[in-house]
Amino acid sequence: MNKTVIQAELPPDLTARARTYVEEGWATDFNELLADALRRFLESHSSRVTEAYVMNDVQWGLHGND
Amino acid sequence: MCNGAYMGTTDQRPPLVVCDAGPLIHLDEVDALDLLADFAEVLVPETVWREVERHRPSALSHPGITLRRISPRMIASPELEALAQVFSLHTGEWEALRVALEFRPGLLLTDDTAARLAAGNLQISTHGTIGILVRAIRRRQRTRDEILAVLKSLPSRSTLHLKRSLLEAVISEVESIS
Repeated sequence: MNKTVIQAELPPDLTARARTYVEEGWATDFNELLADALRRFLESHSSRVTEAYVMNDVQWGLHGND
Repeated sequence: MCNGAYMGTTDQRPPLVVCDAGPLIHLDEVDALDLLADFAEVLVPETVWREVERHRPSALSHPGITLRRISPRMIASPELEALAQVFSLHTGEWEALRVALEFRPGLLLTDDTAARLAAGNLQISTHGTIGILVRAIRRRQRTRDEILAVLKSLPSRSTLHLKRSLLEAVISEVESIS
C-alpha cells in the first residue's frame, strides 16, 4: 500500500502516552496508532453533520424557548 | 437528526447543563464563560474537570460562575457502553453522557460531533459553544454586536475550529436578526 510520510508536532505528554500504549503492545507501532486514531476521528466527525449541529445551535440560540 | 428544526428544550426555565471540556475552554478563551451563569446549574464531570485543569485551568475558577464537580453514580448501561465504542468517545465525553443521563432533563454542552451523535441516540439535548454565544443575545446577556465581534474573533482567539464558510454562515444568520 502506498503511504505518505508526514511530519507533525505533538504535545510531549500525548506523545509519551502514545509511546507507552505501543510499548504495552496495544498497537503494532506508532505509525499504526496514529493512522488508527486519524481514521476513527474522521469516521466520527463528518463535516456535514458538524455543520448541521452548528447551524442548529444558531437557531436554538436565536429562537429557543429556554 | 438535524433537518432544519432546532433541537431545543421545551422547558421555559434555563435548564441544568452538563459540560464537556470544549465549551468550557472555548468560552473562556473568548471571555464568555460568564454566559453559563444563566443556567440553573453547571455540572462538570470529574474527567472533564481534570482535562480542563490540564489545558485551561482558568476556565474552572471564573468568579461569576459556580461549577459543580461531579462523578457519575449510576453504572453505565450496555446501550451507553455500545455507543461509546461506536462513536469512539473519549473518557470525558463518555462521563458527560453518563452524568447527563442521571440529570434528565438536562442539556449537554459539547463541541464534539461524535458526542452529539451519541447523545442524540440517548434523547439527550445538546448544544455547543456557538449555541451558547448566540443564545446570549436572546437572553440579553450580550448585545448582537458584541456577539458578532466575538464570532469574528474566534479564528484568532479560540481553539474552536470552524470551517471559514460555516463561520461566515453563522455570522450572516446573526447579522440578519434585527
